Amino acid sequence: MKNILVLFLIISFGIAKELELGSGMPEANYMLDDISGKKLSLADIQGKYGTLIIFSCNTCPFVIQWEDRYVKIAEEYIPKGIGVIAVNSNVGRFDGDDSIEEMVKHAKKNDYNFPYAQDQKSILARAFGATKTPHIYLFDDNNILVYRGAIDDNARNANKVDEPYLANAIDQLLDGKPIKKPISKAIGCSIKF
Amino acid sequence: MDEVKKFKGEKVVLVNIWALWCIPCVEEFPMIVDLDKEIKDLEVIFVSADYEEQAESVKAFLKQNSVGPVSYIKKEKDEPFITGIHPKWSGSLPFTVVYAKESGNIVDSWEGSAPESRFRTAVKIAMNS
Repeated sequence: MKNILVLFLIISFGIAKELELGSGMPEANYMLDDISGKKLSLADIQGKYGTLIIFSCNTCPFVIQWEDRYVKIAEEYIPKGIGVIAVNSNVGRFDGDDSIEEMVKHAKKNDYNFPYAQDQKSILARAFGATKTPHIYLFDDNNILVYRGAIDDNARNANKVDEPYLANAIDQLLDGKPIKKPISKAIGCSIKF
Repeated sequence: MDEVKKFKGEKVVLVNIWALWCIPCVEEFPMIVDLDKEIKDLEVIFVSADYEEQAESVKAFLKQNSVGPVSYIKKEKDEPFITGIHPKWSGSLPFTVVYAKESGNIVDSWEGSAPESRFRTAVKIAMNS
């Protein structure tokens, strides 16, 4: 019996429970520390037609490979009414590579055109069930989750992408169509809670 | 996963997905190697998620950690690779799956690094499952 209980506990906490499609946006009013020096919440950056949250960081090789597409997505879709934010939940590195000072440098170096904010105590990451960077969540105009997962299927080369998962999902959202592929997966770095 | 099935009824199998660039993966790697050496009825299968052109660096790391002669490196695109390993895995590294000795069923899996005690508990349960 003891073994069964231990097994149950292990299985229960082994793989984080990700936010289910159709869920409302959790912790929408939780205040984050943006690199601008201001406090802001997901509600503050909400777009007219949807909101994109990218769990990210400064050092993950997959973030570094994909972040050119963060900028392109923001450039294309913020004017179309999609709110965009990158959230850094790597609390374990806030006194090092993921400090606000390093985030400011990183955003400047990579031409970030969207807010980039620290999630103190990883509150947002835990609420979303986000486990890695990059980890993407797209909400519709009613703050309902319509897509989660990866940006596309080729981290290394934007010119060799077969499936631009996220761009397709945003286009379908803006067209009022169902999201054909609402969940995708990709390798990423674990969030340092 | 065919490699895992080969050990059904004979050994507990622990699959660890890792990568050279993944610091937590590299940190826990020697501990897993030691467990493999210590526990006779345990078979550890390392699968590298590094790119294929990094195979030489991966081989050097494996050699440095006395792992061999068989190890694996990811060849598929991310999504089929992740789903093939475990449908509930998000893709976060490292990732570990432990298969029961007798039934061959998954008894535990976790994302991110874990203390040695977590590995030992899972293997112990898998020995009797």
